[in-house]
Amino acid sequence: MMIDNIVAAFHELFVLETIFLMMVGVVAGLIAGGVPGFTIAMAVVLTLPFTFGMDAVQGLAVMMGVFVGGLSGGLMSGILTGIPGTPSSVATTFDGFPMARAGRPGFALGLGVWSSFFGGIISAILLVTLAPQLARIGLEFQQWDYFALVIFALTITASLAGENLVKGLIAGALGLLVATVGEDEINGVARFHFGNEALKQGFGFLPVLIGLFAFSQLLSDLEDRVKARRSLSEGGGVAVRIEHRKAAMTVLKHWVNLVRSSLIGVFTGILPAAGSSISNILAYDQAKKASKEPETFGTGCEDGIIAPESANNATAGGALITMMALGIPGDIVTAVMLGALLIHDIIPSPTFITETPVLAYSLFLAFFVANFMMLALQSYTLRLFVLITRVRMYVLASIILAYCAIGVFALSNIAFDIWTLFWFGVLGYLMRIFGFPLAPMILGVVLGRIAEQWLARSLARSDDLTYFLTSPWSLFFLILAAFSVFFPKYQAERGKRKWTLFYPAIFAMSLSVPAFMMGGPVRIVLGILLIALGVRSLIKHNANGWRVDPAASNAPQLREG
Amino acid sequence: MSRFNRDVFIAIVLLLLCGAFLTASFHIREIDYGILTPAAWPQIILVALTILSMVYLVQSLRRGTPPGGATPVSIKGVLEKYRNPLWCYALFLLFLLTLDYLGMLIGGVLFVFCLLTAIGGASKRNLITHALIAVIMIGAMWALFTYALGVIFPQGEIFTTL
Repeated sequence: MMIDNIVAAFHELFVLETIFLMMVGVVAGLIAGGVPGFTIAMAVVLTLPFTFGMDAVQGLAVMMGVFVGGLSGGLMSGILTGIPGTPSSVATTFDGFPMARAGRPGFALGLGVWSSFFGGIISAILLVTLAPQLARIGLEFQQWDYFALVIFALTITASLAGENLVKGLIAGALGLLVATVGEDEINGVARFHFGNEALKQGFGFLPVLIGLFAFSQLLSDLEDRVKARRSLSEGGGVAVRIEHRKAAMTVLKHWVNLVRSSLIGVFTGILPAAGSSISNILAYDQAKKASKEPETFGTGCEDGIIAPESANNATAGGALITMMALGIPGDIVTAVMLGALLIHDIIPSPTFITETPVLAYSLFLAFFVANFMMLALQSYTLRLFVLITRVRMYVLASIILAYCAIGVFALSNIAFDIWTLFWFGVLGYLMRIFGFPLAPMILGVVLGRIAEQWLARSLARSDDLTYFLTSPWSLFFLILAAFSVFFPKYQAERGKRKWTLFYPAIFAMSLSVPAFMMGGPVRIVLGILLIALGVRSLIKHNANGWRVDPAASNAPQLREG
Repeated sequence: MSRFNRDVFIAIVLLLLCGAFLTASFHIREIDYGILTPAAWPQIILVALTILSMVYLVQSLRRGTPPGGATPVSIKGVLEKYRNPLWCYALFLLFLLTLDYLGMLIGGVLFVFCLLTAIGGASKRNLITHALIAVIMIGAMWALFTYALGVIFPQGEIFTTL
């Protein structure tokens, strides 16, 4: 069955046009990832209008190319200029830039490229093996479970909120509200149109997304008048020859670091809301702790490049596991990809792999292929990157702003979409200025309609609300959701306040309840293990006399050099 | 210490928005084919948003302004600080308002040219460079979407009247 699906996916993907478009996507991703100020999410969002006219496999394969390219593009500017192209390559600059300045830029780039490649391949293998297994669980889900799953996904907004939890939750709720404008999909009734004919159709998903994310980001880049007129190459970007052979051998020689960092990347990606911006720092930190020469980190150490670069590419595979197996976005990029599925009339859900196996396996294959393309195209893109970095920021931003308008209009051929882009561009920029995170709002926009549909289906089957608590999977996701909301607070106050000592124990023991309700030997053993874990945690804290240290610091123990 | 700060103002705007939408939600046509009426889900969201906005308001009021007082903000200062984004918005709005008349191609070229000149300066060399960039880049994009992707952009009344 799996082999049949892979063969069918192979035929779908390996079409000359699709492969060519994927290559263009990888190059675009590499460039976008390389230019500081342009994020991977922005690149994926801006790719959407182009993919609208393509079929689902082709469109998503191109986006996959941009995603993988973007993750690797950040290393070019990070290593050559010391300015990370994306947050996912912040830790790469710690050792990449010193190595480049020490006269070995080609080797530093090679280490980055090959670590990215191997990290991507390791995560692709895990994606293909883990996602279908995880997706089997989805076949057990009922309406209530789906709704609870979406509610859990929405609580990810709490983790995406950053410093201010309330602002993040407000942004998430605003996203949900935006999704309710226009025709209700269940009854066909227009809502919140305020007498405006165009609003009766609701806001297009893409103009909202591009406005909130890309438009507002570009304006933030232009805010500083001096920087806006400056080009990136003033930071010192020069074309160099990548030392592939030597770098590949070095990366393989450091295979323990490579595998450990890739696994950190994959598991960070699986966790909702923990993306590559976290995994690269975590992997760097672990590599430094495990190293026999930690003092060399920050001075141009090989492990210091291998760890973050393999981790950030591996995160993509992890995020895709969550997206494809459960139908919920792991990060902002997969949220956009879920939006792309919706555009192609595919409703993301845990049955995605079983109901559309060819598309699912095409995505697996595309992820594999994109990593090979990234490896092959990085050397050529480097020259293009150096050329682009000579262009002044305001020129790039102005052209992309015009492209946003053209691309958005191309979606449905209606000028109202450009107005939507404009107004959400204003809103996104104001939210940035006032400190509201945008990611929760985008999650709300993507998941709003799906949540409403599942709630309607649940209530149509039975108006008994206790089903949400008596259905084991629903209870499982609601418990996860409840703990997920308080997780950022737990993270910030861990070890400082007494309640944080109980949090892991209560979490583990609460999860054991649905595990017992599900029945079956494996889940009952899992339930017992969860209780044991909880009890162990309580005994440990009891032995320590429930001691807390209000002055403890929970910030990552990372130092540059 | 003044209790009124920027966050208090935003929280009040959010509460007003919730009020407006809640009122509008009671005017949504009632159809009850299933259990969930068209107004139910938006009302659930709006109640949550109202509660969150109130929490935000209370938080902001408690925090107040810093002991030294808020830095006075003049309109001139705001215009100076946000000069480039304001140019972008103004020119984009103008582009949108004139879209039917100028069309996507002419409007797009003019938008990019004006924006480049507003931000990058209007020296003789810049004017030529900006004009070339605007014509080449927008022309290429317009051609790609029109001929390769088959998109029909607004042609502009200017062409029909000429």
